Amino acid sequence: MSAISMRGVSYAYPDAERAALTGADLEIEPGELLLVVGTSGSGKSTLLRCANGLVPHASGGRFAGDVVVFGRSTRSHHPRELADVVGFVAQDPEAQFVVDHVERDLAFVLENLGYAPDAMRRRVEETLDALGIAHLRDRDPASLSGGEQQRCVIAGALAAAPSALVLDEPTSQLDPQGADDVLGALTRLNADLGTTVLLAEHRLERAAPLADRVVIVDGGRVGTPGAPGALLAGYPGAPSVTRLGRVLGWDPPPLTVRDARAWAAREPVDLPDPPERPHHAPGEVLLSALDLRVDLGGRPVLRDVAVEIRRGDVVALLGRNGSGKTTLLRVLAGLLAPAAGSVTTVDGARAAYVPQNPNSLLFEPTVRREVEQTLRLLGTRDHGDVDRWLDALGLHDLAARHPRSLSGGERQRIAIAAVAVGGAPVLLLDEPTRGMDSASRRALDRAVTQHAESGGAVVLATHDVELAARCATRAIVLGDGDVVAEGNARQVLAGSLFAPQVLRVLPPFLTVEEVERELTRP
Amino acid sequence: MTARRARPLLVYTLMVVLGGAAFLYPFWLPSTAFSSQAHNGDAPLVAALVGALVIVAVALEVQRGTMNGATVAILGMLSACAGLLRLLDLPGGGSGIFFLVVLVGAAFGPRFGLLLGLCSMAVSAVVTGGIGPWLPFQMLALAWMGGGAGLVGMWTARLAPRLEVAVLAGYGWVWGFVYGAIMNLWFWPFARGGALDWHPGLGFAATLDRYWSFYVATSLGWDAAAAITNALLVVLTGAALLRTLRRFAHRLEPVVEFSPLDLEPASAERL
Amino acid sequence: MTSVVQARAGNIETHAPQARATVATWHAGVWLVWALAAAASVQLASSPVYVALLVAIAALAVSAHARPGPYARAFPVLVSVGVLFAVVRTVLTVATTHGLGTVLFTTPHVVLPEVLGGFTVGGSVELPVMLQSLAEGFTIVGVMAVFGAFNGVVTHSELVQSTPRAFYEVGLVVVVALAFVPSTLAAIGDVREADRARTGGRVVRRGRLLRHTVPVLELGMERAVTLAESMDARGFARAGASPRDRAAGWWGVASLLALGGAFVALVGQSRTPAAVLGLAGTLGLAAAVAIASSGRQRARYRPTRMRRADWTVAGIALIAPVGLALCSIVGDGSLAWYASPLRWPALHVVPALALLPLLAPVVARRRGLA
Repeated sequence: MSAISMRGVSYAYPDAERAALTGADLEIEPGELLLVVGTSGSGKSTLLRCANGLVPHASGGRFAGDVVVFGRSTRSHHPRELADVVGFVAQDPEAQFVVDHVERDLAFVLENLGYAPDAMRRRVEETLDALGIAHLRDRDPASLSGGEQQRCVIAGALAAAPSALVLDEPTSQLDPQGADDVLGALTRLNADLGTTVLLAEHRLERAAPLADRVVIVDGGRVGTPGAPGALLAGYPGAPSVTRLGRVLGWDPPPLTVRDARAWAAREPVDLPDPPERPHHAPGEVLLSALDLRVDLGGRPVLRDVAVEIRRGDVVALLGRNGSGKTTLLRVLAGLLAPAAGSVTTVDGARAAYVPQNPNSLLFEPTVRREVEQTLRLLGTRDHGDVDRWLDALGLHDLAARHPRSLSGGERQRIAIAAVAVGGAPVLLLDEPTRGMDSASRRALDRAVTQHAESGGAVVLATHDVELAARCATRAIVLGDGDVVAEGNARQVLAGSLFAPQVLRVLPPFLTVEEVERELTRP
Repeated sequence: MTARRARPLLVYTLMVVLGGAAFLYPFWLPSTAFSSQAHNGDAPLVAALVGALVIVAVALEVQRGTMNGATVAILGMLSACAGLLRLLDLPGGGSGIFFLVVLVGAAFGPRFGLLLGLCSMAVSAVVTGGIGPWLPFQMLALAWMGGGAGLVGMWTARLAPRLEVAVLAGYGWVWGFVYGAIMNLWFWPFARGGALDWHPGLGFAATLDRYWSFYVATSLGWDAAAAITNALLVVLTGAALLRTLRRFAHRLEPVVEFSPLDLEPASAERL
Repeated sequence: MTSVVQARAGNIETHAPQARATVATWHAGVWLVWALAAAASVQLASSPVYVALLVAIAALAVSAHARPGPYARAFPVLVSVGVLFAVVRTVLTVATTHGLGTVLFTTPHVVLPEVLGGFTVGGSVELPVMLQSLAEGFTIVGVMAVFGAFNGVVTHSELVQSTPRAFYEVGLVVVVALAFVPSTLAAIGDVREADRARTGGRVVRRGRLLRHTVPVLELGMERAVTLAESMDARGFARAGASPRDRAAGWWGVASLLALGGAFVALVGQSRTPAAVLGLAGTLGLAAAVAIASSGRQRARYRPTRMRRADWTVAGIALIAPVGLALCSIVGDGSLAWYASPLRWPALHVVPALALLPLLAPVVARRRGLA
């Protein structure tokens, strides 16, 4: 008997023209880890929320079909009546705490379910140990890191020992360390406790190897679940090693770097080295910073940092959380005054900063008006810049939509367009690929490369090494406020822990596209 | 009207009457049996106690047994915003909390507006460390502002957006004065002395006279500034905020339509 | 006037979230009872001497038991508000009351038009008027000091947790609001910076209010919806309305009607029915709360209950107003002070002793952890 069974599920949100899900059929086996994959707006989130009744009871709308969870139908059971069998974790870790005390928040579900006080105490202690967060029990959630917060949220969902756990992109707002912690905890829960896990993810590099089965959702339709390797081979958002395997004809395609290396050892690939980047000689200096020192809250965040941005550069700024990436970008943009040192721009070249959270910028009712708003604020006229940037970022079809009805990746692109349309030659992007699906990432790559080639420069502060591998011409690594490594992108990435997957399998290639180009070269 | 539906209306009416009587005590207490010079200062504290009792009764009623997760979460978030807005020192002593309560009441209805008024003042008191005998009246006054805005909003929802914003701005302007007058009226008996004196034994007209002088002397200026600020904030932000808030209104009381179970895939597409 | 009060009181910032510090102090309920008892004592013994004693007790409470963080500032802030209020009041009174005693000095005066009351502002400034009004202002300072100490000493989260089960949902709203405060503050900062970044570091004033408020509200609402889903998925509001809630509702209506009756009786000059109905109304509401609370069978996780020591100390604090009431019934003349005939305020032993029980929570320390 399956744990969760969906039959003929169709659903439309209230006041929506199109259905979010059509004719979805899915059987989830008890104890399995099912990975749900799909682009933004494909119906992934809706499918996940069907599994615990949030769709349709919390959102309203029109619902057809039936979802049976451990023998209870969501037609007749509200999510609160399923709380003892299904737990739910959403994307934003900060917004899921009821009380500003970790231990009391954990006990919230137990209070609601009417546990006796002794049973509550026991369950809380067990759950704290199961997720390894016992040392955080008295803390205020707002003071924790993203990974710690998300683990506390999982603990809160798990306290009543549900048989299934549904997670909607739990790592998309986290840095790599936090993502590792969360996915590791999930794997342990699935392996040790036998909890059925239904997981939706964009970043498949980490998640794909963990799954028992994968199901692809596209345009509201749910495909047939299957083995990860087979199903992800043709999927555009697959991990780099999987796409590499498909390009090189390895079948079944590998999911991890280890599998890929095994393949490469068995079937060695002999290809000429890829051409150097950048393809053109670097132009003149647009922005330079010397001897920057910044102190925040009494602590030195940047020590003696010197940076030079030239025309045509795409600079990847890498480093751990707290190494000063965002601070450096803010100083370069003129939003933060350094305690020592100077930032000089040449020829009045401005640097425009796009913040990490695109929601801070968006307030107009349509995408087009949002981008036009910047021109209005700057007092300049539109010489076709608005359309140019909407096209560059693939937003032309969405120009009349409300930004808040779009996905996180699309909002990020809108924010970039809204800032870039101001005409600043130097663009400073802070974690642009956070929460982006593969379609958004490709649009971003195109826009960044185009901007650099047409005479601008881009600085990307990011944890996403795949992004750096795809676009960057140069790379700078920050560590504890100092510049630890700097130079050509290929050299820096090769010599550090920030290597992308393809580089670890087939050095000196950085991306699957490079391999493809060398393969198809006559 | 059934007894169950009549009860909330009865409670709200009594809330207005009793709360109003409690803070209007300088006008009617002089003519009663409990007038004695030595205990003038007690009256405000007793009035605060009555206000607190009224709030207890209203809280029991307005929860209607239970509130769903969306109501608690949205109320909590908006109370946090409103409570923080009170920390803003606007020119002339106006406060940002009022315009938000008015707009939210208009968007989400009278019951929500009433609850928001009660909760934001409570949160604000906790955040700023300002719990005291003045709190029941602040809570009641803000609750009336929010509930009234809800009633107004039910009517103005049918109007054009600009007109609706203008009506709500006027409502906020009027309430700037009313709120100040309520709090002043409560404080007034503390301000005894001389020609502005209040003491039991005065007639109604004389009391009104003196109160008016006291009000003009002390806070008319402040309250006028607060009223203008309210109206201005509503005018500047009202349209956009109302639009935003109303987008979330369906979350408070979701309406689900179930189709029969065996639906063909073809007809499912027509959803 | 009160807007100034509110604005001043509102200039306390919330503290940055940190690891919690446990302070071994009394339960929030004890401090609430203490504050009410002390405020009642200020009213019963309004002579400046006794009020000064009470202010001293309040100051001791703050210095001994203040919670870490900015809440300790509540005491000086509220006291200064009280002082300001008293000074303004004194100035008003002195300026408008004439012909009662020895004149200190005279100022130019103006007679207000009939519309505004028709009395004289300015003129002779008289000593007894000033002293009397200062003394009365001092009682306001006393009440402010008591509540300033209360705010500085009590753990607000404990106070919210201790609300009766009948008000669980409303209490939860306050808890959720407090949990949302840090992220809302952070969002405001982010939005302001993003707005500056959009225009390359320049600040564009036009339309800035809208560009700041809409994103903060949208972000907040989206977070609230996420929280709502999380609460639903964790079984919130599972129990639903019980028949006891309905019964409690009717008790509430009856109590309000009783209070209304008391009000009518007061206006109609009948003392006894007014007192009886008032008492009935109050007790009825207490019963309503009790009924509603009993209808919600919901165990709290690790509740901080009031122990025997807490109840004892709270009871001791109540001795003070009771004792002062007895003194006033017996006819002790030192409790209230008047400026005419002019004399020093007297300090009698019995009322002073009656104030001592208020020191109980201040000097005693709770054994064991909080």
